[in-house]
Amino acid sequence: MKLFLTHNIDTKDLHSIKVYKKQGGYGSLEKAFAKKPDEIVQMVKDSGLRGRGGAGFPTGLKWSFLAKDVFPRYLACNADESEPGTCKDRVLLQKNPHLLIEGMILCAYACQIETAYIYLRGEFYDLAEIMDKALEEAYEAGYLGANILGSGMNLEMYTHLGAGAYICGEESALLNSLEGMRGEPRLKPPFPAVEGLYGKPTVVNNVETLCAVVPIMNEGPEAYAAVGTEKSKGTKLVSVSGHVKKPGNYEIPMGLPTRDLIYDLAGGIRDDNELKAWIPGGSSVPMLPASLVDTPYDYEAIAAAGSMLGSGALIVMDHTTNVVEEALRLAGFYMHESCGKCTPCREGTRWLHQILSDIHLKKGKESNIALLEDICDNMSFKCFCPLGDAAVAPVISSIQNFREDYEELLNLAKAGTAS
Amino acid sequence: MDKEQVTLTIDGKTVTVPKGMVAVDAAKTVDIDIPVFCYHEKLGPFGCCRMCLVEVEKMPKLATACTLNVSQDMVIKTDTPKVKKGRNGVLEFTLLNHPLDCPVCDKGGECPLQDNTFEHGPDLTRMEYNRAHHDKATPLSPVITIDRERCIACQRCTRYSDIIEKDTALVMLNRGFHNEVGTFNNEPYDTRFSGNVVDICPVGALTNTQYRFKSRNWDLKNAESLCAHCACNCNIVIGTRQNRFMRVQAKSSENSVSNDFVDDGWICDKGRFGYQFLESKNRILDPRENGIGDSRAGVIETAKKVAASFKKIAEEHGPDSVGFLGSPFGTNEELYLYQKLFRLGLGTNNIDHKLYADSPGLPVDHYDMEDVESADLVLTIASDPTEELPILDLRLKKAVSSLGTKLAVLSDQQTLMDCFACHSLRYNVGSDGTVLQSLTDGLGKKGFKKNKGFETETGIESDAFKELIASLKKSTKVCVIYNPEKLTGDSVHILKSFLTALDKNSEGTCGAIPAAPATNALGAMDMGVLPDYYPGGIPVSNAAKIRELWGDSAPVTEGASASELIQKAESGELKALWIYRCNPLVDFPGGAKLEQALKKLDLLVVHDMLETETTRIAKVVLPSNGPGYDEGTTTNIGGRVQFRKRGIVTQNPADWKILGAMLKELDIESDYRDSFEVTSEIASTVPGYSEVNRKNLRKFGHQREKVSNPKVPESKGSSEKAPDKNALRLRVSNYLFAHDKILDASSSLAHHFQTSSIYIHEDDAKSLGLSSGAEVTIKSDWGEIKAEVQVNNRCNPGGALVPYISDEQGVASLLNPDGGPTWVTFKN
Repeated sequence: MKLFLTHNIDTKDLHSIKVYKKQGGYGSLEKAFAKKPDEIVQMVKDSGLRGRGGAGFPTGLKWSFLAKDVFPRYLACNADESEPGTCKDRVLLQKNPHLLIEGMILCAYACQIETAYIYLRGEFYDLAEIMDKALEEAYEAGYLGANILGSGMNLEMYTHLGAGAYICGEESALLNSLEGMRGEPRLKPPFPAVEGLYGKPTVVNNVETLCAVVPIMNEGPEAYAAVGTEKSKGTKLVSVSGHVKKPGNYEIPMGLPTRDLIYDLAGGIRDDNELKAWIPGGSSVPMLPASLVDTPYDYEAIAAAGSMLGSGALIVMDHTTNVVEEALRLAGFYMHESCGKCTPCREGTRWLHQILSDIHLKKGKESNIALLEDICDNMSFKCFCPLGDAAVAPVISSIQNFREDYEELLNLAKAGTAS
Repeated sequence: MDKEQVTLTIDGKTVTVPKGMVAVDAAKTVDIDIPVFCYHEKLGPFGCCRMCLVEVEKMPKLATACTLNVSQDMVIKTDTPKVKKGRNGVLEFTLLNHPLDCPVCDKGGECPLQDNTFEHGPDLTRMEYNRAHHDKATPLSPVITIDRERCIACQRCTRYSDIIEKDTALVMLNRGFHNEVGTFNNEPYDTRFSGNVVDICPVGALTNTQYRFKSRNWDLKNAESLCAHCACNCNIVIGTRQNRFMRVQAKSSENSVSNDFVDDGWICDKGRFGYQFLESKNRILDPRENGIGDSRAGVIETAKKVAASFKKIAEEHGPDSVGFLGSPFGTNEELYLYQKLFRLGLGTNNIDHKLYADSPGLPVDHYDMEDVESADLVLTIASDPTEELPILDLRLKKAVSSLGTKLAVLSDQQTLMDCFACHSLRYNVGSDGTVLQSLTDGLGKKGFKKNKGFETETGIESDAFKELIASLKKSTKVCVIYNPEKLTGDSVHILKSFLTALDKNSEGTCGAIPAAPATNALGAMDMGVLPDYYPGGIPVSNAAKIRELWGDSAPVTEGASASELIQKAESGELKALWIYRCNPLVDFPGGAKLEQALKKLDLLVVHDMLETETTRIAKVVLPSNGPGYDEGTTTNIGGRVQFRKRGIVTQNPADWKILGAMLKELDIESDYRDSFEVTSEIASTVPGYSEVNRKNLRKFGHQREKVSNPKVPESKGSSEKAPDKNALRLRVSNYLFAHDKILDASSSLAHHFQTSSIYIHEDDAKSLGLSSGAEVTIKSDWGEIKAEVQVNNRCNPGGALVPYISDEQGVASLLNPDGGPTWVTFKN
């Protein structure tokens, strides 16, 4: 299997610039500087790379949306990896920080940016230390600062630690937080490409996305596009968690059957139990039943199956699970993380949690299911930002696919076996 | 520049509006009401409450109409089943943890949450869990109480604090379900404009502490009136119940329509909370003769008797043996009638209302307050909007932060506007004449050259001054705002030459706003309460014009000014003085000597609304109703004449009625049946006021024509050296919440009162051996007061700033009665 991001991830001391350079690190810069910025944007377009943060928006296209002739522009790397089940960016930041820096330099060159920020979730303070050390090395080696490698390009790069809020992974809330304001999403439009950080055109990209620009530069967009499916190109780093024998991060070519991911790479279900449900792309996407496990792992196929690839966090549940418990856990997460800006999310997430708690404690009522569905309907697409829709996904998909789990608990409640 | 128009359809109705308007506002133009909570026209789109969901063709999701910019051929539907379900759902969420304590909520009856629920909401709740609980009454400040249970987190108040007040004092704390409105570190939210959040709160969360549980709002009688605290004349709504004051609100889109020519829909806290004086024990309700007691004759009879006495004295000792000391606090009608009484009834021009030099009229356009927003450069001179004309402060901040206006501050003291200014120049106290002359010259052919002498005298760096001149020259619209009261000597005349030079030399247009802070300062000038000008800026020297307008008996020799009246009282030349709504014993320089002078008069009449130091020594005291009770027009700093409606009914006759009776007593025709008849007379006799009539006064008032004044008196100029090297030149500055007769000890704004301080520069502190916190006695040739030293560099070295913080402070007693400079020294 062709790997672009993690082929050398286990090299000892890869995080040091010495080892990274020995592995060919920073080699893409010379190639890039020989080209015009627009050519780099075109290469990224040609590679078919799509945003790995969750939305899957074509990266090259995003870069080309920057407001013309407005400067300064900013780059904000979204390293606020907070989606339950997702831990793929962490491994890149921890083990290969220079890959991210190199990718960010390429992006900055392509988009004529002179200031870049790496926005890390508050809990990543240890990774911030690693990143800071790497930045220091990169400055010393002349890859950052003024007139990089004599190309005339200037770039300052900083790390910024959040204060522990899931919402700051939403790009406009991230920018608010970076500016020192409350972590609340902004109105769109204007989109960050037009008015982002400090009101200036801003590129916001995920860690994995920016890292992927390096192999595209090194090996050419064709080589990258040769891997994957027609519309989902390249490889994807997937965090597999839950009831598998070998949970962990796996880089796979787009389109690999999910079955292979679960049963081959992750070693199959624990105790060789039966697969019951799987969430393909992190807590924000609808869960799918075992019957769909042969779905190829790529944007289109997963969408056709009724879910989303999201951030690439595969959560596996075996037959011992009652999905109501999963729904409750995730409802609790969204209640805790709702920023409170808009009414449906602030009030709805709490109400969902209250009802799910009752059902889980076998105190529910038959009418609860219909009520949950209606609350979800009243939240769906009516919230300020996608977090509200995300909060609905686990609840509504668990009712659709596993209604019997709810009924089981409600019947127990009827029988008076409250625990 | 007209914005591009677009045509779209809302609920089948065709609408043509400027491109980019939000759908909520576009719908309003065709009377389609889209419910909102978080949206407020002055705060802009935010989109957090989700109440305003609408369906838009070709958009898969419902859109929020408050954030939806309309575009050509857009088709919006506000009444589909999908929209109804969406709004119903949002309201269910909004009410989920709302206490529904409407029966005891102040907002009940005028509550958008009630109204929207009635129209769009569910009739039953499906919520079966305990609702969230918070304290029912948490004080945010002594005047605002928050009920956090009722809050729906629409963020109107916090955005107001951020966008309008520009200080983010009020913020959202915590996250998600636990978020709440509060302040950093729980400090009080006691800004100058805090009360507006009560008006804009769409639920009963932010409440007016004074008004809490006082009345159901449907029991209130609401009168659209004017605030009388400063010369902005903001539009307010006075709510009374059973003829008692209950509350003051801003006139805004919440209850009516905001007057954007004046206040943009906001008022300051002094206007909102500072109305206790209206029901103060100190109100003068009956006429009285001191030493004899309340007069049984009634106000009118007493007034007629006193008028006759004045006439008798004038006949005996000559017309110039009587005089009138008015004030800028009366209405135009009152002031007009007073000058008429003295000029035509008694034959004297001994009429004045102020201590500073100024003459009516401007050599350039008189800008309205709204012009601040369209100007590309606003230059304030000796003006401190924050403390003197607070709503102008908000206007300037709005213009600077969102409309691209640049601000230049030229003053002898640091003000809170400085941080919004691109030019912030501070001149030495007393050097305004030199600064203005150099500015005038700099705009002309001579230009301005780097100049050490100028720098030493004024304390302004030549380069910064040059930049200001360059900015003035190249701006397309310059608005000059100046406070004549705080210019020294007669430099206001130099300022007017500067305006002429600006008009001539700048590339664009220019205009000015004379910003004296007193309620009707401009009206008092326009109404000719001046010894040298008749109403409408007609100088006494223009005998022909005066005879034409006022008849042959009108006096055409210059009368005594306010300070001359006092001097003449002392010398015995003046026998009788009539003081109207003015308290010279506190506000005029002279101290004990002044009191002796006034006591020498044969007849001292004070016509006022509150007991003052001066009413105590008057022979006759007459009651004046004052704001809240009276009706009439006032002219604000922008030249806008507005009608002040009464909020409360009183048995006492109106001042215009008293004046009418006195005029009649002196054989002058006066059969006014209401204040509007006086207004009509003003319209016919006062140049500039011809269009001021009942129709034009409706809604937004009427900007009177500029009083033109082509000829500006020459400045005599003055430059004085300190008498000894330890003396500093005194500058009295204003403080919005001064503890005076209006904001007395019972005021709910008493928490803003300050103690007597003096601000000096660190250089002077060093040479005088003073440090912050030191208690000193400030001495001048005329008096002394106690104050605490604050070394804060708010003025340049050589100056001493004393904010007027209370009547008791006695700062006027320090001042030079000649109007010349006042030098002060310190005693520990």
